Amino acid sequence: MSDERPKAASLSHYAVLVALALVCLGPILLMAMTSLKVQADIFASPSFWFFAPTLQNYRAVLVEDSFGRFLGNSLIVASVSTVLTLVAGAMAAYAIVRFRFRGRAVVSWATLLLRSVPLAVLAVPVFGIWEQFGLLNSLWGLILLYTAVNLPFTIWVLYGFIAQIPHELEEAALIDGCGPLRVFFAVVLPLLRPGLAAAAIFTFRIAWNEFILALVLTNRATRTLPVAASLYITDVGIEWGKLMALGVLIALPPLVVTLVAARQIIAGLTAGAVKG
Amino acid sequence: MAAITLEAITKSFGALKVVDDMSLDISEGEFVVFVGPSGCGKSTTLRMLAGLEQPTTGRICIGGRDVTSLPPGRRDIAMVFQSYALYPHMTVKENMSFALRLQNLPKGDIERRVAEAARILHIEPLLDRKPKALSGGQRQRVAMGRAIVRAPSVFLFDEPLSNLDAQLRNHMRVEIALLQKRLRGTMVYVTHDQVEAMTLADRIVVFHKGRIQQVGSPELIFEHPANLFVAKFIGSPTMNILPCHYDGQFYLGGQALDLPVPDRLRPALEAARGRDLLLGIRPQALRVVRADEHGPGLRVTVDLCEYLGTETVVSGRLGAAPQVQVTAVLPARAGLGG
Repeated sequence: MSDERPKAASLSHYAVLVALALVCLGPILLMAMTSLKVQADIFASPSFWFFAPTLQNYRAVLVEDSFGRFLGNSLIVASVSTVLTLVAGAMAAYAIVRFRFRGRAVVSWATLLLRSVPLAVLAVPVFGIWEQFGLLNSLWGLILLYTAVNLPFTIWVLYGFIAQIPHELEEAALIDGCGPLRVFFAVVLPLLRPGLAAAAIFTFRIAWNEFILALVLTNRATRTLPVAASLYITDVGIEWGKLMALGVLIALPPLVVTLVAARQIIAGLTAGAVKG
Repeated sequence: MAAITLEAITKSFGALKVVDDMSLDISEGEFVVFVGPSGCGKSTTLRMLAGLEQPTTGRICIGGRDVTSLPPGRRDIAMVFQSYALYPHMTVKENMSFALRLQNLPKGDIERRVAEAARILHIEPLLDRKPKALSGGQRQRVAMGRAIVRAPSVFLFDEPLSNLDAQLRNHMRVEIALLQKRLRGTMVYVTHDQVEAMTLADRIVVFHKGRIQQVGSPELIFEHPANLFVAKFIGSPTMNILPCHYDGQFYLGGQALDLPVPDRLRPALEAARGRDLLLGIRPQALRVVRADEHGPGLRVTVDLCEYLGTETVVSGRLGAAPQVQVTAVLPARAGLGG
């Protein structure tokens, strides 16, 4: 008798989980299915589940509409800005944690405050400044901006990781003959791997998905995928099949980055360094 | 191997003076142990030797070379940390060879030196493991191995055994002593453990409040402490310090005590006639006699007897002055009932 309640509880438990999963996965499933349909099948109710799958939309997106170029732009912008953010962020966080300098507290609070500025607010002033510097409509303009907006978060993630690294490790490296830069690259950076991975997942995704700034700061040659996707919303209607195919293509790279990066997030990487 | 000279070293952190005008010469191949209570400046002095702290004033020479402003890596020293400080992302072998690789030594040379150190420390089977797969004692050995492979002029040890359990600590202490005999390196060793200090040191340096209280061989420090602090700090249990005055014989709280006075102390004692003095007696120097037995003796009320197997520690209060604590270490089977 006593089994009844837990059974019921676990049933309702699973029901809630399934419902949540449907809410999350439903739109993705809809997107994937729609991307495999011809325009005529998309709004025809009998063929919602049963239709002849086609890759026509993907060919249209990648070959005919030359979205390969925008995919390249997105990949360059997201990966270069992620790498720059991680390198600069790790160094900045290291300096804030380890060095005592005038204005240290101000710097660390200011970084956090910057994070609270909505991205859209930056669009107009950055447009003006980038135009002055000749960065408008260039991939570098976007890369620099994404690096800047992602730095605060990265610094704060890595701050915690660096603070956990025992100071003796760096002292041991100094005694072993490392200079300050070598201490950072040979000892500190390898130990930050889990933190770097966590930060990489976020920075890559933000740079990859960002729409407003990319829309304002790029042109037809340098636009990124989210901006390109909006091209399928036209005066004469929405090209659902192509839009969904592009949606699937946009969703894949961050998924790969997340899976690869998540494997680096190993708890207790510094275990064994010092007696706890 | 190299001699070390500290010249008028002072170290302040803000207004706090941690090391105060310290000068010390350490000979080549000597094993010197810094002892003192927490916060006495012994670790800070070691860190200044290592180059991890910069002295506020003064000069440090290693092997005749002024290293005061040199970075740690260029002082030709190796240090074993209390926490071991092994690089967690490197294997034991990589940990030990790290400094050698930084020096761009030939690969064969590095292999040979790592293998030799691993053999000395019995850690050959561990070379491919990461630190997290090692026990505390093994990590300790690797940390020592990392120091040995470099064949430095000076070895620095910062309380290297304090994280080990008592049994392992004794074992590693013996190993360090053997290692020093074998390497004949100049070693500076910081500890708050008297047993380590007494057994390992050629010379002990006793620190208190940022100043050197006494420098000397373990025998000298134990037998002839330079001041009250050293007398109380060295020796376990702590030396009995009994307030008294001298007037041809000693008087403790009104009780006369006729002790033989060594000739060398007699002039000083005569000069201090009638003044308040402190009489120091090691607990091991006391023994129990019957109350009616003749000879010099103190009447003591016993509070506690602690049986330790090989000996019994007896704590009590002086009969004539109950506020004065007295401790005696007696053979385990010494009868107290008399």
